Amino acid sequence: MSTPGLVEGGLIDEALSADLAGASLMLARRFAAGATLWCLAPAWEPHAHHVAVEFVHPVIVGKRALPAVALTGPDLVATTRVSVRPGDVVLAVADAAEPAVRSIMRRAPAWGASTLWIGSGTRPARGAADHVLWLDDPDPRLPATGGFVLLYHLLWELTHVCFEHPGLLAPSVSDCTDEVCITCSDEGRLGEVVLPGSGLDGALVRTAEGEERVDTTLADPVAPGDLLLVHAGMAITRLDDDRPEVRR
Amino acid sequence: MTGAGAASAPASGGDTGGSTDFLYPFLDAEERDQDSLLGDLAASARAKSAESAALRAQTLTECAEQVAAAGAELARRFVAGGRMFTFGNGGSSTDAATLAGLFARPPGAAGARPLPAWSLTADQAVLTALGNDVGFELVFARQLIARAGGRDVAVAMSTSGSSRDLTVAFAEARRRGLYTVGFAGYDGGEFAASPDVDVCFVVRSQSVHRIQEAQALLGYRLWAEVHSCLEGETQR
Repeated sequence: MSTPGLVEGGLIDEALSADLAGASLMLARRFAAGATLWCLAPAWEPHAHHVAVEFVHPVIVGKRALPAVALTGPDLVATTRVSVRPGDVVLAVADAAEPAVRSIMRRAPAWGASTLWIGSGTRPARGAADHVLWLDDPDPRLPATGGFVLLYHLLWELTHVCFEHPGLLAPSVSDCTDEVCITCSDEGRLGEVVLPGSGLDGALVRTAEGEERVDTTLADPVAPGDLLLVHAGMAITRLDDDRPEVRR
Repeated sequence: MTGAGAASAPASGGDTGGSTDFLYPFLDAEERDQDSLLGDLAASARAKSAESAALRAQTLTECAEQVAAAGAELARRFVAGGRMFTFGNGGSSTDAATLAGLFARPPGAAGARPLPAWSLTADQAVLTALGNDVGFELVFARQLIARAGGRDVAVAMSTSGSSRDLTVAFAEARRRGLYTVGFAGYDGGEFAASPDVDVCFVVRSQSVHRIQEAQALLGYRLWAEVHSCLEGETQR
């Protein structure tokens, strides 16, 4: 029986190492701003626990403990929804077809969360998460060979290196000058319906800025959990399940 | 950081110190621009990945005979109706759970047949009951008393090889006739010298992270070896 390509040195190439660096700086910045890291791995739950314990109880004495929590159980979308606060980070270890993780990654912008997706095989759609750390080896047994362990160990190590550069942990100005910046531009923001509207009140919708009343006339009928594009207090359209991800 | 003056040094080896200063000697104390930091982080990731790959390859070579022997014995026991119990502490407990999952639910449509294996950290009621009532060092031993018999297999994953709850569990496993497999790092710790451990895989590194990465691959190889032995059985 062959061993997935883990013995050779080429596991982390130039591109993946750059992805790891970017993900680590994002994570350090979010932690510095008070984030909690929520870890999911529906098909391989021990990986979620391993990531969480890595951050909460560092193996290197003197490294600060950081808030990280593994989320497990039957309804991961609901569990993550109720756990996440704006500014938090959601990390999933899952393949690109995992339904709960796909749903959570699509909703995360409405919850104000940054996303990090670790997996192997076929890649998620472009833009499916803020940071994608991917091993292209299609062997379905790869999750049990230590490849993911290496990735999240490096994520932890590099995140702690970033803490030694406090000047770089404040959000960079460039984060808010991109033309796709949802917060600053005129582009629609993603919202998730909490409660459908009644009378003139409009629907109660959760966005990255909190909950707000939104006129859903153009998108009705809407139900709790529906994703909407919100612009100037108005839902422009409803996003159907698993449509291409909104730009972020 | 104290690494100023070593700005061009390559990434170093294992992490034994209390700070990643030792790991990243090329990062100096001065703040630099973000792109420079990102470049350093990426270079460090590649260096550590290469270090991890070299350790994994070295470990597989060093442990090849042990993997073959343990795989054959596990296969023999599974055929005879034996079952596998895995355990460990912290991150190693999760790696032990992943290994049990690989045996019990091997992925892939044309995959190997599922074999009975469980992680002994899966049940928080049992863990907290034992930890609270009889003490943490008995959390695994008492589960083996309740569940395991002479045809079974106990697998403990550890970086130190010396955690008290694991060595106590191995002593109990020995008394009950289980086959015992230890995963350790550094110099093998107490596992390496213990008469209670039938096979001790030692990953010769000082880094907890690199040890765990190599142990995961060793566990995978052990599983693969069990299945190649089982295929041999069915062909006879």
